[in-house]
Amino acid sequence: MLNFPAWKVVLILIVLVWGALMALPNAFSDGFLGVAPREPQSDAPQDIAAYEQQLGAAEDSWWPSFLPTGKVNLGLDLQGGVYLLTQIDPEEVAANRLETLQTDIVQALNRDPLIERNVPEQQGTTLPIQLRNAEDMDDALRRLRRINPTVGATGGQKVLSIEQTAPERILVSVSEDAQQALAADAQSTMITIIRRRLDPDGVSEISITPQGDTRIVIEAPGEADPRRIKNILSQAGRLTFNMANTDQSSINAAQATRPPPGFELLEDQLGRLILVNRTPVVTGSDIATASQGRDPDDNSPAVDFRLNGTGAERFGQTTASNRGRIFAIVLDGTVMSAPRINEPIWGGNVQITGDFELEEAQDLADIIEAGELPAKLNFIEERTVGPGLGADSIRAGTNASLIGLALVGVFMIIAYGLIGGFAVGSLLFNIVLILGALSGLGATLTLPGIAGIVLTIGMAVDANVIVFERIREEQQNGRSPTTAVIAGYERALSSILDANITTFIAAAILYLLGSGPVKGFAVTLAIGIVTSVFTAFVVTRWFTAMWLRAARPRKLSI
Amino acid sequence: MLLQYWPKSTNVPFMSYRLPALLFSAILIAASFALIFTKGLNFGIDFAGGSVIEIEQPEGVQEEDVREVMSSLDLGEVGVNAARGTGVEGVEVIVIRFATQQAEEGMDQDTAQQQANDRVRAALNEAFSGVNVRSSAAVGPKVSGELLRSGLMALGVALLLMMAYISVRFQWKYALGAVAALFHDVIITMGMFALTQFEFNLSTIAALLTIVGYSMNDTVIVFDRVREEARKYKKMEADKVINLAVNQTMSRTLLTSGTTLLALLSIYLFGGTVLSGMSFALIFGIVIGTYSSVFVASAVLLLLGLEQGEKQRKEVEGFQGV
Repeated sequence: MLNFPAWKVVLILIVLVWGALMALPNAFSDGFLGVAPREPQSDAPQDIAAYEQQLGAAEDSWWPSFLPTGKVNLGLDLQGGVYLLTQIDPEEVAANRLETLQTDIVQALNRDPLIERNVPEQQGTTLPIQLRNAEDMDDALRRLRRINPTVGATGGQKVLSIEQTAPERILVSVSEDAQQALAADAQSTMITIIRRRLDPDGVSEISITPQGDTRIVIEAPGEADPRRIKNILSQAGRLTFNMANTDQSSINAAQATRPPPGFELLEDQLGRLILVNRTPVVTGSDIATASQGRDPDDNSPAVDFRLNGTGAERFGQTTASNRGRIFAIVLDGTVMSAPRINEPIWGGNVQITGDFELEEAQDLADIIEAGELPAKLNFIEERTVGPGLGADSIRAGTNASLIGLALVGVFMIIAYGLIGGFAVGSLLFNIVLILGALSGLGATLTLPGIAGIVLTIGMAVDANVIVFERIREEQQNGRSPTTAVIAGYERALSSILDANITTFIAAAILYLLGSGPVKGFAVTLAIGIVTSVFTAFVVTRWFTAMWLRAARPRKLSI
Repeated sequence: MLLQYWPKSTNVPFMSYRLPALLFSAILIAASFALIFTKGLNFGIDFAGGSVIEIEQPEGVQEEDVREVMSSLDLGEVGVNAARGTGVEGVEVIVIRFATQQAEEGMDQDTAQQQANDRVRAALNEAFSGVNVRSSAAVGPKVSGELLRSGLMALGVALLLMMAYISVRFQWKYALGAVAALFHDVIITMGMFALTQFEFNLSTIAALLTIVGYSMNDTVIVFDRVREEARKYKKMEADKVINLAVNQTMSRTLLTSGTTLLALLSIYLFGGTVLSGMSFALIFGIVIGTYSSVFVASAVLLLLGLEQGEKQRKEVEGFQGV
């Protein structure tokens, strides 16, 4: 037990030095050692470019690149920021998908028409279809099956279930299974769109991660107000150009009864009603770029966008043949503007003006460029910590740790004297190792996590205490210091492991089932248990062994 | 150093007090159940849903002013309280709380909750421009339900795993004693939360799990010794064997509890309001856990009948070769 051959000493030193090196960057201010490159968030070119730039910066730093530069990640509760949990409604995803497929369905059935001209009405995730003749059933089913797409890119589940419910009736619907699959598919699409909306330049530290199949977690460090994020993400971003009618008598007629087939009544930003053709000329997928611009008339903020080739072509032709009429730019069911077509617009450059603040125009451009969300995002949990509270928490946590450490240290030295001092020495190493492990593992330190460290400080000495008590007893039984120490360590081992394994089990469960800050507590507790067994049982023993050999005490004052 | 003046071998007849102690524990458990079911636990928004918004108290603004702003928002019952914020200097803060919102047409309660928070922010900004919102949280009923379920599940799984572990390492009588102590600690700590009406939230569950780990740890140390002495002394009466083991481990028990409590006290006093509930639970739980490893775990073991000498099955010694 007190025999430390060279290889063991080397091993201990490697662990201690490694821990110290990993912990070292935490002692310096940000950027002093250069910035550790963060993994690119996605394969998007701007993310890769940002990563490469960081790599270059890291190489130029004076700090050798083989040494770690990463600090402990601070949780949102310590550095301040916004945490948002969002929920995707699978039924809504399915209904939206069915709506976009409706055009294809109607088109397929309208060729040598099998159905009456009036468009079938979608009811949630189902679309009942009434055929003209029961004899057309086989033909209709065949046509529908041909256009039935699969969820995701290739193979796998079909989106639509197509059933015959009566001799001349068909029910097209999205089944539960398909809804789940669509939602999971939508989740990854949405993560990409959310990232493009919130972080168009790929520079911020926003993290967007899936949770389960229908949830997305958004964490934005440094953000103090959740409203901007909620705003940007609560818009579906469905942008269309539709032909429209602002003729007051038609509007009044539509209001009195109902809009003519294929039309709907929409409000503009000021609440005025406009009759809009349901079938869009241009949709969000036709838009190449969007950016914040200026209204040439009064220089107020506006949104400029450019259509891609096919979109510009279609828009040009439509405007050419509808000179003098009105078209509407519709965003999420609201008419953003409804200009009259004075001349054909061929270049594909369009501008939306309105009563925008500069930031609003910028956000709207980001939303349009990022594309349409397959469904609305429902926010179900928000937790925001302002920078002031975060800084206060760090200060409070640091104070509590230092005071706790001092109290425990003084207590140990008073109780055990010199050998207690060894325990305090290894306790310091313990903290260095915890910090090193947290930095090295990229774990996140939260406020409860700091509490976990302080708790570990208190409990870490337990292993020492168990050993010291045993040594004391063995010495009482008449053993010499060296044999007492050996016996003490041997007999205490099983108790120490038993005791720590039970606490480790608790920490592991907390990690698996806990969330957010509590998970941070579990991490530091678990790391603390491992490092404290190592420092208390190995490092303290090594100190004691060296001291016994050097001082050869006749009696341990323990 | 000082410890050498600690009596070398104490000889407190702990087990003579086992019946009054068990009775005392039984009363505490009954009282805890009664409190939990009558007064109830004061669930925080993690488990009950709702919102908490903490603002730095603006110059010259009183609680009433904030209450007035809130009353115009139609959020149901709103609590507005001045408090001292986390931190060394401890700025004055005002904490605003309100419960789960009713959903309007075409909107679920979760969304309504989020919008209520946004409206409060907007109203505060308007009434007290430049107001510093230190923190805000809104937890919808969907999430709070799940958090409560997973929290309770974590506690249940932890207790089961502890039972499994202790059954492998010790004989079933020991396992039963240890588990009785665990339930004892968890129930009484929860009873304490019902009594004081301290907020019961996710951190409290974390604290309870840690208490479970710590109490188990403590019990294992005592039981290890009991088993060792029971093997050694065939003829000694069972309560004397246990007394011996408890006395032998007593200075360790007190020292470890002492250092742990010192560390926790430092969190409680200096760690700020966010951690005070958690550290309160831990401090209470560790005191109760230390008590229970002697007066519940060991007492139950004695009631079940301690086996001694060679009859004592040679248990898995495990770890010995590590």
